[in-house]
Amino acid sequence: MWSDLFTIPALPMIVGAIILPLLPKSLRSTTFLLFPLISLAIVWTLPDGTLVAVEFMRYTLIVCKVDQLSRVFGIIFAFIAFAGGIYSFHIRETGQQVAALVYAGCAIGITFAGDLLTLVMFWELMAIASAYLVWARRTADSERAGMRYLLVHLFGGSMLLGGILLHVAETGSLEIIRLSESGTLASWLILGGVALNAAVPPLHAWLADAYPRATITGAVFLSAFTTKSAVYVLARMFPGMEILLIFGVIMTLYGVVFAVLANDIREVLAYHIISQVGYMVAGIGIGTEMALNGAVAHAYSHILYKALLFMGAGVVLHTTGTSKFSGLGGLAKSQPVTLWLFMVGAFSISGFPLFNGFISKSMIVSAAGEAHVDTAMLLLMLASVGTFLSIGLKIPALTWFGADRDIAVTKPPVNMHVAMVVVAVLCFVYGVVPSLLYNMLPYSVTYEPYTAYHLMETVQILVFTFVAFWMLRSKFVSHPTITLDTDWFYRKPAGFLRRLVVDSLGQVFDWVEEKIMIGVKKIAIRARNPLTFARNLQAVNPASSERADFDPDVYRPPAELLIALILLGVVALFGMIVLL
Amino acid sequence: MKRWQWIAISLLTVASLVVEFNIEHGDHWWSSIPAFYILFGFAGCTAIIFFSKTLGKLFLQREEDYYDVE
Repeated sequence: MWSDLFTIPALPMIVGAIILPLLPKSLRSTTFLLFPLISLAIVWTLPDGTLVAVEFMRYTLIVCKVDQLSRVFGIIFAFIAFAGGIYSFHIRETGQQVAALVYAGCAIGITFAGDLLTLVMFWELMAIASAYLVWARRTADSERAGMRYLLVHLFGGSMLLGGILLHVAETGSLEIIRLSESGTLASWLILGGVALNAAVPPLHAWLADAYPRATITGAVFLSAFTTKSAVYVLARMFPGMEILLIFGVIMTLYGVVFAVLANDIREVLAYHIISQVGYMVAGIGIGTEMALNGAVAHAYSHILYKALLFMGAGVVLHTTGTSKFSGLGGLAKSQPVTLWLFMVGAFSISGFPLFNGFISKSMIVSAAGEAHVDTAMLLLMLASVGTFLSIGLKIPALTWFGADRDIAVTKPPVNMHVAMVVVAVLCFVYGVVPSLLYNMLPYSVTYEPYTAYHLMETVQILVFTFVAFWMLRSKFVSHPTITLDTDWFYRKPAGFLRRLVVDSLGQVFDWVEEKIMIGVKKIAIRARNPLTFARNLQAVNPASSERADFDPDVYRPPAELLIALILLGVVALFGMIVLL
Repeated sequence: MKRWQWIAISLLTVASLVVEFNIEHGDHWWSSIPAFYILFGFAGCTAIIFFSKTLGKLFLQREEDYYDVE
């Protein structure tokens, strides 16, 4: 039983988060790397069908259940935690390191959860750990954004928990099962909770709100876990649900439109998480074996290149102090290494041949073609145009090329570049040898990405996207603006609601408190000497109540009265004793 | 953009067209349109830029302190 614990892939990360603060500060960054590696080793070696069950109250919790689907997500989650550890090697802040470990551990925990209760526990803990990575930036802006992030996720978590409780009440089982055709309130609530984490519009605004405000290293972890663990749950519980195809396609284009408007590198990248997750959601919505394979493969590729892109954006922010286009330009000369490593990520996300985005995105698009959803297929290709436009062209043009603003650039820590090289190499290797990824997928793969037709199609689209951008490049002048999104609906009324509910209620409380205090004060003054109070009541003539001169006979009770009162008291006491 | 880069891009385009007219096409309604993906890339990119910028100008873009002003 106890030896079973060592087969739980999430455990090394969670235990690591407890051990890490106890170590000397100088050892923490190195030790951090160890925990994801142990997790990776466990995930890699666990055979399919492994089950670890624990009895909890009346239920059997399955804390680890391994199959092809969970394994591929587990591998990439553990790996990217390791790469993130290299990238943040220079950080000497225990809080961030612990939060990152717990966060990654929870994502792996969700992946291998065999029952709904285990799933929702990791789900909620993940929200808290990830919120810390936003707060750790320690600006007033990130503090508020982190709180919004947490509140939105607690709302989503409550939806999920509500759905799970209803589901358990209806079926009596905690087992994670396919709910695509269920149509009950419970399944819709679960879908809503998961869709919020997958950033499906209109439940997506938390992502573009919080990620650009997170710490430099925190954003790398954030880009990997929350949305992709939600994709995993969607693939497991809701494959083949048509509504997911519709929402997935909307997501791909929604992110594209907002990324064109964004004025911050990390905001563009955040909107393109929504766009890329849209491909995965669409693939899950199509639901064929090829589409599901595509969704999983794209999640895997996306985690790699999106981490690489956020790492590149992080280097810019670290070395210049800003990631806003309105403060950037002409960095190519001083940052050639960062530029080219970023471009590997940009080529990957844009689906250039020889890079990993090409072999996974095309699988979903082709699956849409095979399923004869032509409109969806065309719209997915259109989103791909927008991806190249924003990430492959807009970001480099406004950051490394364009007007040189003579920005003072510091040197980034070496480990940042090392992490980028490691991830960039993988983006390339998977792009050149797709079978490395295809062999890990849940269903056997017959798809071949490198066909003449597909290469022709990709070259034509990419080249003429570039030509159109070149002709319209004057449109991309950066302005210091923000773009409104659906978070407007809770950010803008927040002030009014605060005034209505908190402030006005507070004013009522203040008024009541003030009146009570005045009353208490009056009573207190009177109660100091009841006799004076009684005499003042008698003083009908206002002249007699004037206290110009102090008169001891008026303001001090006579001794005989006190003696009389005491005697009366004694008599009353005796009387009571006798009577009883 | 340097001259050789434009030449490289042109060569790529020509090569893709040569390939297009010498291989079997898919069975979608657009498969028979010649140079469809060239039009798609160009028109798609232009449409995305104009649609987004118009939407931004009309409704979405605001000053940076928009949420700070009560």
